[in-house]
Amino acid sequence: MKKNWLQIAKLAMVCVACLSCVGTPAAAQQFPVTERTLKNGMKVLVQSDHSIPNVALYIFYRIGSRNERPGTTGLSHFFEHMMFNGAKKYGPGELDKVMEANGGSNNAYTSQNVTVYQDWFPRSAMPLIFDIEADRIQNLNFDPQKIESERGVVASERRSSVDNDNGGLLEEQLWATAFIAHPYQWPVIGWMSDIEHWTIDDLKHHFAMGYSPSNATMVVVGDVTPEEIFQLCEKTIEPIPSHAPPPPVTTLEPPQLGERRLVVHKPAELPLLMMAYHVPQTNHPDFYATNILRTILFQGESSRMYQRLVDKDQIALDVSSQVEPAFDPTLAIIVAQPKQAIDPEKCEKAIYEELDRVKLSTITDQELEKAKNIRLMEFYHQVRTINGRANTIGTYEVFSGDYKKLFDAAKNYAAVTKEDVQRVAKTYFGANNRTVASLLPENEEKSKQ
Amino acid sequence: MSMSKKYSFVLILLVLIFPAAISAQSIHIPPHEKVIFKNGLTVLLLEKHGVPIVNFAALVKTGAAADPVGEEGLASITAQLLRKGTQKRTAQQFAADADFTGGSVEADAGADFSTVQGEFLNKDLARGLELFSDALMHPVFPQAEVDKLLAQSLDGVRAAKDEARSVLGTYYDAYLFNGNGYGRTSDGDEISLTKIHRDTIVKFYETYFAPGNIILAVAGDFQTAEIKKKLEEVFGPWPSKPVTAVKIPILPPVKGKKLLLIDKPDATQTYFAIGNVETAAGDPDRVAIRLVNTVFGGSFTSMLNESLRVESGLTYGVVSAFDPRKAPGPFGIYSYTKTESTVQAIDMALQILQKLHKQGITAEQLASAKSYIKGQFPPSIETSKQLAQIIVVNEFYGLDDREINDLEARIDAVTPAIAQQVIQKHFPADNLVFTLIGKNSEISSAVQKYAEKQDARLISAPGFWPAPAQK
Repeated sequence: MKKNWLQIAKLAMVCVACLSCVGTPAAAQQFPVTERTLKNGMKVLVQSDHSIPNVALYIFYRIGSRNERPGTTGLSHFFEHMMFNGAKKYGPGELDKVMEANGGSNNAYTSQNVTVYQDWFPRSAMPLIFDIEADRIQNLNFDPQKIESERGVVASERRSSVDNDNGGLLEEQLWATAFIAHPYQWPVIGWMSDIEHWTIDDLKHHFAMGYSPSNATMVVVGDVTPEEIFQLCEKTIEPIPSHAPPPPVTTLEPPQLGERRLVVHKPAELPLLMMAYHVPQTNHPDFYATNILRTILFQGESSRMYQRLVDKDQIALDVSSQVEPAFDPTLAIIVAQPKQAIDPEKCEKAIYEELDRVKLSTITDQELEKAKNIRLMEFYHQVRTINGRANTIGTYEVFSGDYKKLFDAAKNYAAVTKEDVQRVAKTYFGANNRTVASLLPENEEKSKQ
Repeated sequence: MSMSKKYSFVLILLVLIFPAAISAQSIHIPPHEKVIFKNGLTVLLLEKHGVPIVNFAALVKTGAAADPVGEEGLASITAQLLRKGTQKRTAQQFAADADFTGGSVEADAGADFSTVQGEFLNKDLARGLELFSDALMHPVFPQAEVDKLLAQSLDGVRAAKDEARSVLGTYYDAYLFNGNGYGRTSDGDEISLTKIHRDTIVKFYETYFAPGNIILAVAGDFQTAEIKKKLEEVFGPWPSKPVTAVKIPILPPVKGKKLLLIDKPDATQTYFAIGNVETAAGDPDRVAIRLVNTVFGGSFTSMLNESLRVESGLTYGVVSAFDPRKAPGPFGIYSYTKTESTVQAIDMALQILQKLHKQGITAEQLASAKSYIKGQFPPSIETSKQLAQIIVVNEFYGLDDREINDLEARIDAVTPAIAQQVIQKHFPADNLVFTLIGKNSEISSAVQKYAEKQDARLISAPGFWPAPAQK
């Protein structure tokens, strides 16, 4: 049974974090990767694992909502949907039919930075999968009728993940407030009015901009040999000509000079609190220390924030943090679910006090070691399946510039000191650098008046 | 910002606890050993090397079905409290010790059984086993932790109601079984959670957490002989005691049609479930049911998805699913659509159900479902965690390794004629239960046509269905 999109999003989010932190040499040796760059510029990474007769194939395109403009926000994601709606050889609906009939399944996800296509199939379906992928990269068809029905699907997806989901709604407002210049300010799924107004020409332009083979990385993990994959690539993918990649995103978000706050009023049983701090992009050296800090503060019931807000003060049901892989400076987001009728500001105050505590005095040796153990376990969670490994290798290659960097991760991680953790807490988690978003239940406010 | 993707099936409803597993020819479950200790504890050991992790899965053969009426949630609360204070550790010490290893101990309860699961790196196996067994055998249920968890769970129910898709299944099951049997929510509700007290929790634990009532699976990176000895040392001295099995009521399918409309005034989509009471775990038709359901609503090219999503764009997700348990569990079609297209989408789902009954499925569709299930199966037995869960649950339901090892043959044996019989026997046609969560003021009159019997509630009203008795 397929995973829902939230699970996939979480999977993608954690994987860079854990890889960057662990990757013991022993673990790395368990999956040697063979690489080749095709003549058209597409890089292909292959890792053999014959433990099950299946294959996971991921294609990462370096195009996402950061490459969009106001008026056509959400186009990358809509385009991702259209990649399943027919090309030259496999017409509308045929891709899924022929794939399932051969034992395969597929999916895809879009983020601010990348669009990723996923195929999971038995070894026997391998030639077919390459045929399908080559067909749609090369000869995608834009059927006006399909565009209209798919517009409805995406609108439904938005209603479900934003309009009828308090967390999705508040997070959208948070990004829109924390960023005023950089394209991370608009949602991956797009504003509803943009979803309603995309044209076929917008789609064609997007295809031409983002879907050059040279703008993609392919990762294949499972019951395969590198030689057979490279041979299939030579036949199907390599002949596809490349063209210019998307224009670089040059807009830099100016430093935030003071706290920003926003409130959403909505009928709800419980309030919700989110706070965002600007942090560097994934390939920045501080990435490791920031992850250790977040682990100590948020991960597990022994974490400082859980102990304080959930266990001791009993003002929240849950408190967590997230950072997604990103090409550009991004946000570390803290999410707290206050208990019913608890003022989110109470949670906010407790979070600030805990942040102050890590700034004032260094964490303990025990906490540092615990964080390493937690990261190690997460690493194994990611690499214990062929699917997890395909996503992890690809995410590392794309966001850190080289999948091999995962072999240095243990070293980078071991180098993090208590002082580093204190320094990143002071550098990034200050009042001027934060945006605070609260969702306040309308019914509750009314009853208080 | 969260990522999005091509599609999703609707929610958590789909996690089939029962692994109706189908295998490719080369796929076999790794060999494993079964031992029964003198105190009655059943132990299953499955070695799997490669990733240095060991997984524990203990299944207590009593779940939420044993919750006293009016105290729904008791089994789940009891399980969750196991790690919140033991004879050796406070809740805080337990969390600190478990987190320090990077591992975890988690527990919860479903209708048929409760589970306690542990996961540790093999370098921490001794420490992990000690923690896992401490939670299982020596919990003390401190009053302060009981109070804390009950308060959190209460707000957890409220938080879930803020998101229609996360409670659709709970409302549907409650209405389908009319608040009996599997209609009693295992998580509890806003009223029942206030009726649970420490003494009933302790009593529940003392009654059901006994070695003879537990199956323990351990899977992963260990040596069988070695771990068997360690398990004997740890669990061998646990005194045995008799446990009476809890009877799960067998409820018949609902006759006629009935509809429950849950009003969520701020909803812009209607979330709906349609179906009836269906099969139990181990149903002799289970493989054929799974094949037919794959064609009907269990894959992206299914009849339902083709119609409601691919051709009409009415929804992002639609799925049909069976949830076989000890007694017959629910079958449902689950989807959502914008408020204005509620009737159009439900009509379409009903037409597809009729089409299934009138036209059946084609030989081509059946062949595709066979390939699809076989091809997608191996990744479901890839990790030691999956394997531990599968063997422990199969043991509980009286199933065995043939569920995996023989399944390709079982799939191949399903003919179009058998598929046709299964449709008539297991897919409801005229007797249907509807549950909708949406904006009452805009849809209530339009949906009246679906059922002679209509019920309505406000989502913020405490409980699910029927309204909990106020004491």
